[in-house]
Amino acid sequence: MSAPGLPARESAPKREARRVAPVTGKRLRTLALVVLATVLLAIWAFPVLWALLTSFKTERDVLAYPPTIFFEPTLRNYADVLFGSASLLPNLLSSTIVAGVSTIVTLLLAIPAAYALARLDLPAKRASGFYVLATQMLPPVGLIIPYYLVLQKVGMLDTYSGLIVIYLTFSLPFAIWLMVSYFEDIPREMEEAALLDRAGRLRALWYVILPQVRGGIAVTTIFVFLNAWNEFLFAVVLGGNRVRPVTVAMFNYISVEQTLWAKLAAGAMLAMAPVILLGLLAQRHIVKGLTVGAVKGGGRR
Amino acid sequence: MIEKRTARRNRLPAERGEGALRSEAGDGRPGAGSVSMRGIVKRHGSFTALHGIDLDIAPGEFFALLGPSGSGKTTTLRILAGLESVDAGRVRQDGVDVTDREPGERDVAMVFQSYALYPHMTVHENIAFPLRMIGTAKDETERAVRDAAAKVRIDHLLARRPGELSGGQQQRCALARAIVRKPRLFLLDEPLSNLDAKLRLETRVELRKLQRALGVTTVYVTHDQEEAMTIADRVAVFMEGRIVQVGRPQDIFARPATSVVAAFIGSPPMNLLPGEVRDGMLRVAGMDFPGLRVRAGDGAVSVGVRPAALRIGPDGLPARVYLVENLGDTTIVDLDVAGQVIKLRTDQPPNVREGDQVRVSFAPDALHLFDPDTGLRRD
Repeated sequence: MSAPGLPARESAPKREARRVAPVTGKRLRTLALVVLATVLLAIWAFPVLWALLTSFKTERDVLAYPPTIFFEPTLRNYADVLFGSASLLPNLLSSTIVAGVSTIVTLLLAIPAAYALARLDLPAKRASGFYVLATQMLPPVGLIIPYYLVLQKVGMLDTYSGLIVIYLTFSLPFAIWLMVSYFEDIPREMEEAALLDRAGRLRALWYVILPQVRGGIAVTTIFVFLNAWNEFLFAVVLGGNRVRPVTVAMFNYISVEQTLWAKLAAGAMLAMAPVILLGLLAQRHIVKGLTVGAVKGGGRR
Repeated sequence: MIEKRTARRNRLPAERGEGALRSEAGDGRPGAGSVSMRGIVKRHGSFTALHGIDLDIAPGEFFALLGPSGSGKTTTLRILAGLESVDAGRVRQDGVDVTDREPGERDVAMVFQSYALYPHMTVHENIAFPLRMIGTAKDETERAVRDAAAKVRIDHLLARRPGELSGGQQQRCALARAIVRKPRLFLLDEPLSNLDAKLRLETRVELRKLQRALGVTTVYVTHDQEEAMTIADRVAVFMEGRIVQVGRPQDIFARPATSVVAAFIGSPPMNLLPGEVRDGMLRVAGMDFPGLRVRAGDGAVSVGVRPAALRIGPDGLPARVYLVENLGDTTIVDLDVAGQVIKLRTDQPPNVREGDQVRVSFAPDALHLFDPDTGLRRD
């Protein structure tokens, strides 16, 4: 065994010498890619990091020119934004209610709807799928006046239920459209096997299908929540004093006389936190290739 | 009393032991596990998948549905499972009409071609799932799962997920999930088609042994005639949505009902040559066989001869050796007879080479005559 090993060990340095040329080429390539990636990352991360820095500055430091990189950090902005006279806390609560409830209702309706669309042989299934998508192409501004009039007529302006219903009109089609493809990826034999195992439709969905599309549910949850949480246009027009999400409240920091940049940044950071938290929670479930091994040749994703 | 017991069985089939299944057969009801299909028609839009299928399967029988792809055998199996509705006809299980019953109400278990294991569950959870769905007690489930897993020898893999199993192990897991609740009818849809050749032969034997041990009526779909011939008690041959022949494998091999069946069964399958009968005398490929008296009436015929019944000898049809396929213990010689290639199989190494001019003969009783138009057997 050792005999064939010896010459190999001797020739090892030689082989390394021969490899040098391609290695430097490879290294250069890697270096270039790393630089490029860093630049892209910087462009992508800069606004968030800048806002984070700004949120710890005093209003004077914010306006300093040239911008100060080193400054005395302060938590005043956060204290003001949270507990000051114009506290954002009620607005954060407002946002949580609107975004949370519309996400939950959306999922409760979208999951069965998407499952049905994916499985049933409905006439004009493709057309209806496209219609669902087409509703997303409408510019929201075109809808805002009709929505305002309708909500006014039924007395739902500045109510949670009113705003949530409006949010459902665009989150629901989007969620259904997104979920259908996840359901379609599950082989039909899955529920056929479950049916033969006496699960029945509902239990087949619950025990066999839903666990396999939980990645899709997580993705849909994030998108729907994010859209509702960051929505501004409908909230500012259809909301009011009772229902005032954080996006609308933050807008008050910008006025004709001045813009409170530091407070705005602190508010933005606080508004980001719940979404980031949700993203982290959902990430656990976004597991790729979950269907690998389910069926022969499975795991297309 | 009987009614009560039936009700109980329908609710908790897993709670009755293997013995209960047999004792029920003795209750005077038509044997537990018998299946009958009458006039089953299935259409997919304008396409008719099944043109009136009639089938009777005896309790405890290992029954194979054999046919090329698209012949309707899988559709038939899915109708038995309740996964497809029928356009006409009735399905009965143990004399009870189950045509309109949901899949879960039929006491059948199925192994899918793709296995359809639940990927997010462990092997243990997969096998336990059918029991969990009918509310079986925990300790009993545990015992049944271990028992089923041991029967297919995957009891050491219970903690794994299907994605961590090899193809053969996945297949066993699917089998275990099917047998765990001791169904009345066991449906297998090409269960071996995803295994490699060696494993397929091994699993075939094990499947047969398992079925004998359990005594459960089994319907087995395959397009592999060798598989069907070796594993099944009886075989139904499907062609284009019709059953063309039902019988024991040896009977189908010995007397194929049509030329299509003849050309489908056997490896290699039967050779078919155009021929003619005049005054009780057979003429094949332009050559008379005066020694052969055939009972079929005059007219054109399709002449079938099994490859193993052909001999290279001093007399017979003139042929040119087209190709010699050496399989080790046997040799297959492809012969060009009047422009048509026929196959000859022999255990002895034939002393011929490609391009040789030879003569092939056959024993008179090895002949099968078919009507060239209808394909029906003519004798």
